[in-house]
This record gives sequence, C-alpha cells and structure tokens, in this order.
Amino acid sequence: MKDRKTTHFGYQEVSVDEKAGRVADVFHSVAARYDVMNDLMSGGIHRLWKRFTIELSGARKGQTILDIAGGTGDLTARFSRIVGAEGQVVLADINESMLKVGRDRLLDRGIAGNVVPVQADAQYLPFPDNTFDCITIAFGLRNVTDKDLALRSMLRVLKPGGRLLVLEFSKPQSKLLEKVYDQYSFRLLPFMGKLVADDADSYRYLAESIRMHPDQETLKQMMGDAGFVDCEFHNMTGGIVALHKGIKP
Amino acid sequence: MTDPTFRAGFDAALETAINTALNYDPATRARLQKLDGKALELDLTAPQMTFCLGVEGERVCVHRHWEGEISTRLSGSAIALVRLLRDPAATPAGVGVSVSGSSALLAELQSIMRDLDIDWEAPIAQLAGDVPAHGIGEALRGVSGWLRDNLGRAPVAAAEAVSEEWRLTPPRAQFEAFVDDLRDLSLATERLEARVNLLKEKFARRGAE
Repeated sequence: MKDRKTTHFGYQEVSVDEKAGRVADVFHSVAARYDVMNDLMSGGIHRLWKRFTIELSGARKGQTILDIAGGTGDLTARFSRIVGAEGQVVLADINESMLKVGRDRLLDRGIAGNVVPVQADAQYLPFPDNTFDCITIAFGLRNVTDKDLALRSMLRVLKPGGRLLVLEFSKPQSKLLEKVYDQYSFRLLPFMGKLVADDADSYRYLAESIRMHPDQETLKQMMGDAGFVDCEFHNMTGGIVALHKGIKP
Repeated sequence: MTDPTFRAGFDAALETAINTALNYDPATRARLQKLDGKALELDLTAPQMTFCLGVEGERVCVHRHWEGEISTRLSGSAIALVRLLRDPAATPAGVGVSVSGSSALLAELQSIMRDLDIDWEAPIAQLAGDVPAHGIGEALRGVSGWLRDNLGRAPVAAAEAVSEEWRLTPPRAQFEAFVDDLRDLSLATERLEARVNLLKEKFARRGAE
C-alpha cells in the first residue's frame, strides 16, 4: 500500500490533502460570527496584539502591504489608513467566506480604493517576486498545511529589506498561566463556541491547533531556515501570543 | 520589560481619549491637519516612559515604536511637559525640558494646546438632551474656571503662607537682598584677596633686593 503523507488537524492525524478542506470547513462555519467570538474569547485583547503588530510593521505612506489570512480585515483597515492613496494593501485569505465577510466589512466602513481582496493560499502566493514592503499573517500560520513552504513563499514575494510579521498563539511562559489557559481553552472555549456560534467542534479545533503550533523558539528557527534574517519574537500576555519578525536579506 | 499588551492598552486608551476629545473641537482638528505626517517624541523622565505622537490627518496616533522621521523631541517630566504646552509664560529652559529638532512644531503645538476649546456640552447633549446639557455645561465651566484661577494662584499663595504666615522661610524680597549682599561680599573678598596677593609679591621682590 502506498504511504500517505499526513499532518495534524488539531490533535488528529489527517492526510495532507484533507487538512486544507477541513480547515476551510471550520472557517466557513465561524466566518459570520468570527469577530464577535474573537472579542469574546480574548476579552478584546486581540485588538491590542494587532495594534502592537502594526507598530512593529513600520508601515508608512506609499508602501505595499500583504495581509495574509486577513480574515475580517482588522489589520487591513489600519494599514489602509497608514499607506494612504499612494500605497496598496492586499487582503488575502484562502477562505472565501472569511474574505467575503472581510471585504464587506471594509466597504461598510468606507475603506476602499487602496485595498484589494485576493483569495490566495499562503503556500503558493500568486504574486511576482519582490512585491511587498511588509507581510503580516495574524492567527493564520497554524492553519497552513506546510508552514515551511508558506514561509518560503512569503520570502519570495517580499522586497529585499521587507519584513514578515507572524502574530500567532504560542506557549505561555509560566506553568500556572499554562494550566489556567488549558482549562480555559478546552472547557470554556468550546462551550462559548456552542453558545454563540452553535459550533463547539470548530472552537475545540482552534484550541487543539494552538497546542500543535510550534513554540516561540521553533518558529523563529523555521523563519531562519526559510531564509529570513534578524529573526526575533516578542511574547505578549505572558506568551499566550507571540509576534515573530523576520527580514528578507 | 513590560508586556507589550499592557503598553499597547495604555497607548490605545490615550489615543482614544485624545481623539474623542478632538471630536468636540473642530477648529483644533482643522489646525492639526496642517501638521499631517509630523511626529513628536516625548521622552518622559517622571514617570519614565517614551512615546511618539504622530498626526495622521485630523487624528493623533500614539506609538510606542516609530520608525519614521521625528520632527521634534522633548525630554522632561510629565508635569514640566504639560506646563510647557499649556502655560504661555513657560519656556523649555524655565520648566526643565530639553528640546531637539524643529522648534516650529513645538511652537505650533503650544499654540494649539492653548487654544484648545473642547465643547463638552456636545457629548452630554447626546446622552441627556440639549437643555440639561447646557445646565451641566455651565456648571462645569464655572468649576473649571474656579479651579483654573485658584490652581494658578496656588503656588504664589503657598509661597506666601510658608514665608509670611508660618515664617518657615524668609520673604522673597529679604532673601533676594541677602543674595545681593552675599554676591557683593564675595566680589569684595575676591578683590581683597587679589590686593593681598599683589602686596605679597611686592614685599617678596623688596626682600630679594
């Protein structure tokens, strides 16, 4: 029998071909209530994590920015104001439902003109080499099937000197916080998912996928292996979330 | 090192407070627009904190990291910086603030801060209606005027009480006269010392002859 390549989907082992479809199903299911759930789950703190990401992006007027897994467009909205009419922000997401919600939300807020929504897979970014001054991927990398491939794809489309910022759940730095966080993720989170979005399984997957995601040092090493230089990370909220930064040489 | 989440929360709260207040002062918003793209770095010594205020259109943004050009950099205590921006008589050297970069931006910001006229009645009217808002606004203006007058006079009044009533320090005029006398005495002593040195040299030369 031919060996099947497998990867993880939360705590389950699934075939590589199957993961993208199952992740897509999760996000089709949560897209409509994604923002409400984000606020509820993080107590609104996700806005502060994103704020810090924007600060470290160093984005300026006239720049071209790619917001991968841009979801409902939180980062894109802010970048759109920073880069101004001369710049451009590409809101990319592999999931059609999330992209639609994001595009509609931006239009409802009057954000248009310098924002282009693109349905794209982070592993095979459909852009020419050396296109972007900055790439951000917020809470998206852990859902990508082949993270190394995605990091190399991001490196390719970044301009030399451009920076990649990966905002992602990570490993809490204190044992006590880790215990509290585990209880919260595996007991309270699926319950809230059931209550608000009527979908406990998707939120259980979110908690499991966070645990399977590489920790701070591993992700930093992966970025270095992909070809980024001056890689560093900043722990936020005790390491529950980490922001990794790397520069294209 | 502080967790970036806390600092981001502080910056977000400060930014929201500034921009919410500016929503009720259209004239200041219009003046700020002329400063679009300019950035002011505040390096506070007490409390120790550094942040950057950037103007984006009619909004003020608070940054912890700013990689763009800094137009003006101010360094000093929070109280000194507030005095510098609000008090027309205050100068950077007088209040202990060091300035680098463009002084034009500082002058413009001082002028904006002094002319700041936030219409607090507008947000109250949205919640309580026009008539109660006007009553509350009048009361707030009265309290604010009383506080401004009394707080402005407070340092002078406190100094008078300490020297004239409680006699803990000499009165200002007496102290200044004492300082003048001391300066005269110091100069006279220096002159006397110079004369004595001259005489010593003279006697030394005679002794040698």
